[in-house]
Amino acid sequence: MPVIEVKQLKKTYNETMVPVHALNGVDLTFEKGEFTAIVGPSGCGKTTLLNMMGGLDRPTSGIVTIENDDITNMKAGELVDFRLNNIGFIFQSYNLIPVLTVKENIEFIMELQHRNRKEMEDRVRYLLEVMGLSDKINVRPRYLSGGQQQRVAVARALASKPKFILADEPTANLDSKSTDILLDLMAELNQKENVTFVFSTHDQRVMDKARRIITLEDGKVISDIKQVKSNEARHS
Amino acid sequence: MLVQIAWRNIWRNKIRSLVIIIAVILGLWGGIFSDAFMQGMAEQQVYSSIHTETGHLQLNAPGFLLNHDMQLRIGDADSVVEQINRLPETEAAAATIQITAMASTASSSTGIIVNGIAPDTYAKVSDISKLMVNGDYFKNDRKNMVVVGQQLADKLRVKLHSRIVLTLQTVTGDIIYGAFKIEGIYRTHNSEFDKQMIYVQKDDLQSLVGFPSGAASLVRVLLQKDDDTKEVAEKLRSQFPAEQVQTWIELSPMQQVLSGTMTQMTIIFVGIILIALAFGIVNTMLMAVMDRTREIGMLLSIGMRPSKVFGMIVLETVFLSLTGAVVGILISIGTIYWFGKSGINLSMIAQGANAMGYNSVVYPTLGAGFYFQLAIMVVVVAIIAGLIPARRAIRLKPAEAVRGD
Repeated sequence: MPVIEVKQLKKTYNETMVPVHALNGVDLTFEKGEFTAIVGPSGCGKTTLLNMMGGLDRPTSGIVTIENDDITNMKAGELVDFRLNNIGFIFQSYNLIPVLTVKENIEFIMELQHRNRKEMEDRVRYLLEVMGLSDKINVRPRYLSGGQQQRVAVARALASKPKFILADEPTANLDSKSTDILLDLMAELNQKENVTFVFSTHDQRVMDKARRIITLEDGKVISDIKQVKSNEARHS
Repeated sequence: MLVQIAWRNIWRNKIRSLVIIIAVILGLWGGIFSDAFMQGMAEQQVYSSIHTETGHLQLNAPGFLLNHDMQLRIGDADSVVEQINRLPETEAAAATIQITAMASTASSSTGIIVNGIAPDTYAKVSDISKLMVNGDYFKNDRKNMVVVGQQLADKLRVKLHSRIVLTLQTVTGDIIYGAFKIEGIYRTHNSEFDKQMIYVQKDDLQSLVGFPSGAASLVRVLLQKDDDTKEVAEKLRSQFPAEQVQTWIELSPMQQVLSGTMTQMTIIFVGIILIALAFGIVNTMLMAVMDRTREIGMLLSIGMRPSKVFGMIVLETVFLSLTGAVVGILISIGTIYWFGKSGINLSMIAQGANAMGYNSVVYPTLGAGFYFQLAIMVVVVAIIAGLIPARRAIRLKPAEAVRGD
């Protein structure tokens, strides 16, 4: 059973006199454990697609199902709880809470899930160890580099044990070294936790690490390539 | 953790928060202190009125106060005084003969009220003896001595040891004159009172107008506690049904109105200050929400319920306001305590204050209950002020907010 299924997804913005068709009939499925990059030129609909898959915005038509739950027709309140328990988000600008420490930032989402203290502490310790940030546990985000902050954001996204993680241009603000570290860690966690990762990106290094690359143009999927380790490729 | 985040968020932009916190501190301090000042003035006026003008209670023959008719009197006043003195709530009681008269000198004359008193007994129910500014309060037993107010002395252009002539009516209706020598001059906080009331020995007045021995126009009662006034009044009404028993509130209803109005004004005054401050608080919190658009977008995206985001913003507003309120109230308590002991000297405007019946030294005071009421008012105003920024926060669209759009 696919984790995410997108069927005939359309999104039209009518904010100006001329309607903008951000998504124009997208059909996609994502299986458990995939490590996928969505690429394409600016304005092609990458972020819009991620927003629809994450339940942050409603499509004009079409449906998104997460393990058979149709999120496009969920009530607002249900959708909030659904996001909390099923979807992890990583943002381009990290978006950590500056008044909380690294530990508190990661714990916060688990507190929203009403997890018990021991479970939260164990999970924080494990994630920070994997991320190589155990020594920064009580540090506030402003004392961390961009790469370290994004690693905390990844840990936060994984803390809630989501079914999949959506990352919108996660390396856009990072230098190449930080990007490599982050991608390696995400790849490792993808394997270890068997969590589905879906990125939107312009970054060639992200595309190189991805095992599947979906290319969008003018709100349509123009290619969907699965890469294997030996760099053999096949079109689906 | 929401409480923790809300509290820490206040200090994210220290200058912005401190500006509004200082505004709350100054606003509340100004409001509370002015209210304590007004309350102090009102309470002192009531105290002075009781201790110099009316006593807590007064007994007189029904109708006496309408025209000071000498025929309307308490026949056995000495016995009434003795019975009242036996009540455990009583501090002291004194019988007084009160007659309207004309006071004249070679250059001026004016209408006055003559109080015939037994000086030692009367000193227990009235502070006049302590308010002498010149001369003495019946220090010797010489006949026909009089104690007058400073205002009357000025009006009649007399000084200590001058003589004034009192023109009175006897109990039989004849007009009689008596020459009195000024032994002392007093000054109360109430210049109108000082212009009207003069004091002579009861015996002198009795013999001059033929007032029956043992009788009095009224009996003035001072109690140990203000709060006992109503209860003792009821007791005396049943004990002396033939007499009219009036409390200080009934004798000077204006005092009670002023005192009561002062409390209401206090609430309204502080309420207006809080409403003005609420606009500043709303502005500060709206700026805070706008500054944190991305963060709020992230919270809504990851699955924090809008109701919790709403609560967090309201909580921040309450913390911001309460921080200022607590400091403002503590400073107010300190300054009210300090000036409550030392007093605020208004001698610069003493004449105007005295003309209105106020003391020239004011001791600010405020009941403890008021601070509790105030704290509740601050929380309510803060919650209301927090509604607008909180609503703004939850109306953000997570997909747009998270990108800072």
